[in-house]
Amino acid sequence: MSSARWLLWRRQAWAVARHELVRSVFSGRIVPVLLLVAMPLSLAGLRALFLPAGQRLDLGHSTADFAQMFALFHLRFVVFFACAVIFAKAFRGEILERSLHYSLLAPLDRAVLVAGKYVGSLIAAWLVLLPATAITFVLFHLPHGAAGFRQVLSATGASHLAAYLAVVALACCAYGALFLLAGLYFSNPMVPALLFLGWEVATPFLPPALKALSFVHYLSSLLPVPPSLGPLALLTRPVDPWLAGFGLLAATAALLVLAVRKARRLEVTYAAD
Amino acid sequence: MTLDAITLRDVSKFYGEVLGVNRITLDLKPGLTGLVGPNGSGKSTLMHLLTGLLRPTRGEISVLGVNPGDPERLFRIVGYCTQYDSFPSGATGLSFLRHALALHGVPAGEADRRCFELLQQVGLADAARRRIAGYSKGMRQRIKLAHALSHAPRVLVLDEPLNGLDPMGRAEMIRLFKELAAEGRFVIVSSHILHEVDAICDAVVMVHGGSVVAEGQIRAVRGEITSQPIQVLVRCDRPRAIAAAALALDHVVEAKLLDDGASVLVRTRDADAFYASLTGIVIASGTAVESVLPADESVDAVYGYLIGQPGVPT
Repeated sequence: MSSARWLLWRRQAWAVARHELVRSVFSGRIVPVLLLVAMPLSLAGLRALFLPAGQRLDLGHSTADFAQMFALFHLRFVVFFACAVIFAKAFRGEILERSLHYSLLAPLDRAVLVAGKYVGSLIAAWLVLLPATAITFVLFHLPHGAAGFRQVLSATGASHLAAYLAVVALACCAYGALFLLAGLYFSNPMVPALLFLGWEVATPFLPPALKALSFVHYLSSLLPVPPSLGPLALLTRPVDPWLAGFGLLAATAALLVLAVRKARRLEVTYAAD
Repeated sequence: MTLDAITLRDVSKFYGEVLGVNRITLDLKPGLTGLVGPNGSGKSTLMHLLTGLLRPTRGEISVLGVNPGDPERLFRIVGYCTQYDSFPSGATGLSFLRHALALHGVPAGEADRRCFELLQQVGLADAARRRIAGYSKGMRQRIKLAHALSHAPRVLVLDEPLNGLDPMGRAEMIRLFKELAAEGRFVIVSSHILHEVDAICDAVVMVHGGSVVAEGQIRAVRGEITSQPIQVLVRCDRPRAIAAAALALDHVVEAKLLDDGASVLVRTRDADAFYASLTGIVIASGTAVESVLPADESVDAVYGYLIGQPGVPT
């Protein structure tokens, strides 16, 4: 491939990504995402205000609480639905507002279009979800005063925060690719999103072969502090973190390949949508 | 596939079991071509097929040697102004065109210069920074046209481009289309308003029920409809004398005096023979003739004859 062509593709992909980023962040589309991230933030804020005095002395308690909240609520609900809203609308939003044809009337390989939309949506998701995760993490340590801050800034605290951010970043990659594809296939991508959420929630009960088809199974293996699952812990066996990371990236790549294949066959028949 | 024509070979498109267009074979040449037919006749489907927004169920399409399934090459040479009156939310005229040029890989500085040229060309320079959502219908039509023209394509496909324009705007756009066609570009214009096409197009493609019912220069198409006598309107000072003499000709089937008292409408099976005889009639009767005009060589009339509903084609 000539370098001129490669340069053109990069320029086109970045133009699509920038456009998608602006559409995702500076439009009404961001409102449900902000409402979603406001939930763990509010929870952390309320916890900081009303944590019993006895528990304010126990930093380990907050670390465990955050791990629990992150695994069971932030990751499975907030990040999941935020990605659903942002990525599913990358194509579906333009189909609904009947403006997708402008992208299809450009001298643009459909793979470049998919790549650009994915990257733009990913940056939008990261811009909202990564700071929200970091602030929630800090808020969970806030009731402990100076000790809490020291904990956040310590090597352990910083590595925990980095791991949580990496999990969110990876979750955005994988869920994003899935919802981008869903937006190409379904008129209402929220229906498959809800079905997939059911699958993700049921993961601990699934046999090992089916667990492998769940994103949360891999993401959980990357958590710095495993959540307390009670008796369900017996049913879960963590995956090697490297395998989990590469597995998620491989799944992302596979989903994007499927999205490109679908985009190449895309026709403009708004009336049917 | 020829590199200097737009060709469709046996092209059909079905939406499930619903027919879009059926077995269309066409060769389009440079110049202004009108795609005419009533709403729902298949014009937009045909235009979508030409630009790859739809894929044919059957058949082959080539646009100057390029397959419409290859957007990277196709949209270097094709600009399409669709019928959709919708735009990316929040876009201004300027940002809309800037994004289109960015997708063409045009660097930002050059894109801005080109945007203002285009906005000037379609008369929207003053509204460049306003949101398209606040534009009038005519302004939205113009910005779509600027979008289609942004990369100076050789093939311009325009779906109902005059919709919503005021008479002045229509005249400006028609002049622009004619200029583009005169430069050797392919300008394909669809319309369900047939007299509009009459006024601007060199050739027409008439579509009805998903099929092409006729194509070519309108006069030639009219000449081939032998089942319908050709109508000639003669305006003169002695219409009765012309009518009487015309009725004596064996190819004239009717000569009708019109209410204005200064015109006669002649229906003949052989227009050329009538025109040849008319000179002699005029001299012999000493009539002063103001004008001799074909009365049914319009797209409107021809379309009506072809679909069997004379007078109500639209």
